[in-house]
Amino acid sequence: MTALSLFLILLLLLNLADANFFEASQAFLKSAFGGRKYAYLYVTISRCALITGMAIAALIAFRAGLINIGGEGQLVIGGFIAAFISIYSGVTGVAGITLAILSAMIGGGLWAVLAGLMKLKLGVPILVGTLLLNYPARYITSYFVSHPLRDVSSGMPQTHLLDKSLWLPFVEGTRLDIGFMFILIVYAFVLVYSYRTVPGYHAKMTGLSIEFAATSGINIFNTTLKTLAFSGAIAGLVGAIAVLGIHHRFTDGMLVQPLYAWTGIVAALLINLVPWAILPAGFFFASLTSGASGMERTADVPKEIAIIIQGIIILFVAARATSIASGSKKKEEGS
Amino acid sequence: MLADLFDPAFADSVARIAVPILLASLGGAICHRAGVFNIALEGFILMGAFAAVLGTFMLGHVFWGVLSAILAGVFMGLLFAEFHLRRPGDAIVVSIALNLIGLGLTTYLLRAVLGVSGVFQDEALGKIIEINIPLIESLPVLGSFLSGQSILFYISIFLVFILHYIYSRHKLGFWMRAAGENPLALKTVGIKPAPVKLLALVLCGICCGLAGAQLSISNVSLFVENMSAGRGWIAVVIVLVTNGRPIPLLGLVLLFGFVDSLSLRLQGFGFPQQFTEMMPYIASLIALIFVSIRRIKDLVGMRGYDNG
Amino acid sequence: MLAKLHDISVNFGEVRALDNVSLDISPNQIHAIVGENGAGKSTLMSVLFGLNVNYSGQIFIDEINKNWSTPSDAIKAGIGMVHQHFMLIESMTVLENIILGSEPNKYLGFLDFQFAKKKLYDLLRTYNFSINLNQTVGELSVGQRQMVEILKTLYRSAALIILDEPTAVLTPAERADLFNSLQDFKNAGKSIILITHKIDEVMANADHVSVMRSGQLISSLPINSTSRGQISDEIVGASKTKSISRKKIKPGPVKLHLSDLDVLGMPQIGNAFNLEVKANEIVGIAGVAGNGQAELVEAIIGLRSSKSGLIEICGTNVTEVDISTRRDAGLCYIPEDRQKRGLALDAQLSENASISLLASKAFAKGPFLRKTKIKNFTEDLIKKFDVKASSSSALANSLSGGNKQKLIIARELSLESDVIIAENPTWGVDLGAINQIHYELLSMRENGHAILLVSSDLDEILTLSDRVLVMFESELSHSFRTEKVTREELGELMLMKASEKKKRKRQISHEAI
Repeated sequence: MTALSLFLILLLLLNLADANFFEASQAFLKSAFGGRKYAYLYVTISRCALITGMAIAALIAFRAGLINIGGEGQLVIGGFIAAFISIYSGVTGVAGITLAILSAMIGGGLWAVLAGLMKLKLGVPILVGTLLLNYPARYITSYFVSHPLRDVSSGMPQTHLLDKSLWLPFVEGTRLDIGFMFILIVYAFVLVYSYRTVPGYHAKMTGLSIEFAATSGINIFNTTLKTLAFSGAIAGLVGAIAVLGIHHRFTDGMLVQPLYAWTGIVAALLINLVPWAILPAGFFFASLTSGASGMERTADVPKEIAIIIQGIIILFVAARATSIASGSKKKEEGS
Repeated sequence: MLADLFDPAFADSVARIAVPILLASLGGAICHRAGVFNIALEGFILMGAFAAVLGTFMLGHVFWGVLSAILAGVFMGLLFAEFHLRRPGDAIVVSIALNLIGLGLTTYLLRAVLGVSGVFQDEALGKIIEINIPLIESLPVLGSFLSGQSILFYISIFLVFILHYIYSRHKLGFWMRAAGENPLALKTVGIKPAPVKLLALVLCGICCGLAGAQLSISNVSLFVENMSAGRGWIAVVIVLVTNGRPIPLLGLVLLFGFVDSLSLRLQGFGFPQQFTEMMPYIASLIALIFVSIRRIKDLVGMRGYDNG
Repeated sequence: MLAKLHDISVNFGEVRALDNVSLDISPNQIHAIVGENGAGKSTLMSVLFGLNVNYSGQIFIDEINKNWSTPSDAIKAGIGMVHQHFMLIESMTVLENIILGSEPNKYLGFLDFQFAKKKLYDLLRTYNFSINLNQTVGELSVGQRQMVEILKTLYRSAALIILDEPTAVLTPAERADLFNSLQDFKNAGKSIILITHKIDEVMANADHVSVMRSGQLISSLPINSTSRGQISDEIVGASKTKSISRKKIKPGPVKLHLSDLDVLGMPQIGNAFNLEVKANEIVGIAGVAGNGQAELVEAIIGLRSSKSGLIEICGTNVTEVDISTRRDAGLCYIPEDRQKRGLALDAQLSENASISLLASKAFAKGPFLRKTKIKNFTEDLIKKFDVKASSSSALANSLSGGNKQKLIIARELSLESDVIIAENPTWGVDLGAINQIHYELLSMRENGHAILLVSSDLDEILTLSDRVLVMFESELSHSFRTEKVTREELGELMLMKASEKKKRKRQISHEAI
C-alpha cells in the first residue's frame, strides 16, 4: 500500500515535469550507480559518506533523547574550520590533514555542546537551541568567506583553494577520495559504542527514560554534554571530509544547499535509530540524490524530486510510530 | 541619524516584515494550545507562498492566489493530521518530513510547472489589495505603519483579538485549550480530542497559507526558492516564548519586525549583510533564553533531568 | 436511577480483566465496590462510564439497554464520574472546568456564563458547598478540586455518581465533608457508587457492598447482612496472608542520618527533618500521600536539593553530592513509580537489571560491557526472585506489574547497600508478590541493612517496622516503637488537623520540661 502510493505520487510528479517514466528511471540508475568508469558510482559513494556521517551524528544524539537537529550548523562550522586551518596554519601534508580534521571535529563538537549548555544551564530546549544555532553558523561563515577570507579573483564567496598536499588522496585506480574510509571507521566505532560500551549504554538508557537513568545514578549532565560533543564532532568531521576531499575550499552555502544534515536526520529516522542499519540507509539516500541529479540532466526532471521522496518516505515510516522524543517526558511543548 | 532610521518607510517595513511572521505564529499558537507540536510552519508557509503565486498566475487574479494559498496550507494541515492524529506518527518526525516536502515540492513545481529555476516573476502577478485609512494615514510615522498595508495586515491583527476572545469565551477555544493541557479530561466530558486537534491544524494551515501569500504576492510579487527563509522557525520560537497566548504574541512579533527592520536599515550604514540577516535568530535565542530561565526557576528544588 | 450491568467481560490482551460481572445499582443508595488494586473495579466503572467500549455484555439504565460509544452518551444518560486522578484543566477557572463539554450556548457557540453561574449558585446552595467559581483550579487544594469534580457531575444533572477512590488524598476533615455530601446526594434520590479499598469507610457509610477479586464479582450484599470480617476475607480470597513476624534483633550503628534537613519545594511549610535509621532496623514513615514523603525521599536519593542540613550515609556526608556518589556510599532505592523511575520500559530486562551496578563498574571492563556476565546476572535475579519473564532479553514492558516490581526490588537489593529506601514497595502488587517483598525486606533487616520504609499503607508499616514516624503536612512526628503504639494513635496523627497538632506538640514540649 505504501509502495503503491509512493509509486503513484512519483508518476504524478514525473508527469508534471513531462518526463517519460522509463527514460527517467534509466537516467536515475545510470546516474546513481553507473557512468564512464563508474564515475557516477564514485560520486554516490562520496555522497553516501557525507550523508551517513550526518546520519550517525543525528542517530547518536537521538538515541540519547537529545533532539539535535542542528547538525547543519555543526557541519558548517567543521567545514569552515577545516578550510581555515588548512589555508592559514601553513602545516602541509598528512600533518596538515590531521590538524584540519581534528580542529573541525573540535569545532563541530563545541558548537553542539553550546546548545547542550543552553539546555542544562538556561533551560532552552535542545531541539530549538540546536536549530537556532544553525543560522549564526551559516551567516558567520558566510561573512568570513565573503569578506576577510575571500578569494576575490574567483568571483564567488569562497576561500582560496587548499594546498594540494592537503587534498585527500584518491583510492588507487579510482576517482574516489578516501573520505569514505573515515566514515567507515566512524561507523565501526559507533557500532561498538552503541552495542558494547558503558557510555553508549548510558546514553541509550537516558534516551529511553531519563528519570530512570537519573534515579539509577547516571549523570545526566555529563551524558548530555558528552553525547552532544560526540554527535557534533562527527558532523564536524563530515564538514572536513567535504572540504579536504571534494571541494578543496569552503564555498558559502556548499554544505547547506545539498541538505546533507537533513538527509542524515531522515536516514536516521527511516531506520528507527537502529545503529547497524545506518550505513545502508545512508547509501539509499545518497543513491536517491545522485539518481535524481541524473534525471535532471537527461530527463529534465528537477532533482528536488529526491527531497520530496525523502519526505514522503519519512511520513509513511513516521506513521509506523518512530518516536524520537519517547524517552524524554512526552510533553508536547518541548519546553 | 535617528531621523534617518525611523522614518515613515521604516514604520512601513516593520508592518510588512511582521505580517507573515504574525500569521505563521498565530497558526503555530493554535496548534501549540491544542497540544499539537507543529514545527513544520516553515513548510506550511512555503506551500502557501508558492500556491499564491501559482494561483494568481494561472487564474489571473490575486483573489485566486490567496484562496490557493489557503488551500495549500489546509492541505499541509490535513497531511499533518493524517500522519500524526489518525496514524500515530511523532509530531517532530512528521514536521521534519513536511518541511522537506514543502521545500522539495515548491522547488520542483517551480521548475516543472512554471519552467524556471530560482525565481519566478511575471507581470501578471499583482499584489494583494492595500488599504489606505483616511486621517490615520496622515499621522506622522505611525500613519505609514497603520495605513496603506495589505488587507492581510488588518486581518491578522483582527485574528489576534478574535483568537484571544475565542480562548476565553467560545466553546471551541475551551476545547482547544483542554485538548492541549489535559486531553483525557476532555475525553471524560465526552469530547474527542482528535477532531479538536484536527481543527487546530486546519486553522493553522489557513494562517500559514495567508502568511505565505503575504510574502509572495504582497511584500513582493514573485516566488523565490526557499522563500520562507527561516520565518517558520522564528514563528516556532515566538510560540514557545509566549506559550501561544495571542496578545503577548502580537507584542513579540512587532518587536521582531522592529529588530528586523532596524537591522535592514543598519545594512545601509555599512554593516555586513550577514550580520543583519543573523539578527532575528539571535533575537529569538535571547528571547527564548529569557523565558527559559524564568521557567526553570519555577521548578523549586528539583534537580533538572529533562533533556528534551 | 436503576443501573444494571449484565455479564460484562473485558480482556486486555491475554489478561481477563473482567469476567462475566453482573451488578445492580439501585437509587437512594451508597453502593460500595471494594477489592484490591487490579481486582477490576476501575475497569468495570470505565465500562459503565463509556470510557472503555471494548467489552462484551449489556448495560441497562432504567431497564433500557444502552450502548455507549463515548462518555458523552453515558453523561447524557445521567451518569457522572469522579476519577481518582482528577480530570481538570489547571489553567482554567472552576467555572470553566465545570462547564467544559456542556457549555451553555449564547450565540454562535459563545458561552453564556451568567446562565451557568446561576445554575451553579443554586447547586452550591442546595448542597451547602462553598467554592469560588472564578478561582483558577491550579490554585485549589486537593479537596477543593474534588469538589469541582463533583460539581461537574451535578451540573450535568447526574443521577448516578461514581467516585473512584475519593478519599485517598483527602484530609480527615475533607473526608467527613465528602461523606456528608454523599448522604445528601443519596437523600436527594441519586445513586452513588463508591470505589474503595478501605473497609472502614464502607462499614461507616455504605448501604450496599460488592466485593471484587481478580476480575470477578465475589459477593453483593446489603451492608447489614455482611460483616467486616467477611468482607476482608472475600477481598483477600482463600490464600490468606501469612502473618510475617519480625525477629527481635538489637539494632546496630546508625547508617542513615538526617539532621536539620530543610528540603526545597516541600508541599507545605514544615519543620526541618531529623531522622536516624540503624543497621538491623526498619523505620517506617506513615502518612497520607501528598504530605511531603515523596519530597523527603527525593532529597535523600539526590533528586532534590536541600536548603540546609545534613544527610549522612554510613557516616559520609552526602548532602551535596550526586546520585551515583550517594549510591556508592551505600544507598539503594525502590521507587514508588516503577514505570518512570524504576524501569526503562522499552529496554531489555538485562539492561534494566544491570543499570545500578554498572555505575559501580561491576559489569564493565574499561569502557566495554561484559555482556555474558550481565546476562547471567539477570538470569540469576529472575530465578532468585521468581520474576515471570520469557528471557533476559525480553522488554521490561512485557512484564506484569508485580513482576516489574519484583525485578526492581531484586536489582536494588542485589546491590547489598547498607541503606535501603523503599517507597510504597508493594503498591499495586498482587498478594503473593507482597508477601515475597515483605519477606525479602525483613531478611535484609536481619542481614544488617538499614531500611527506611515510606508507605501510605499502615498495615505494611506496622508489619515491617521497628519504629514508626508519621509525616503530616511536611512535618515528621517523633518516632514510636511499633509495639508501643496502636493503629488508632497513628491514624490520629496521620489525620490530625494542623491546629490540633500544634496543640499536641505544645503539650509534648510541656511534658518534656
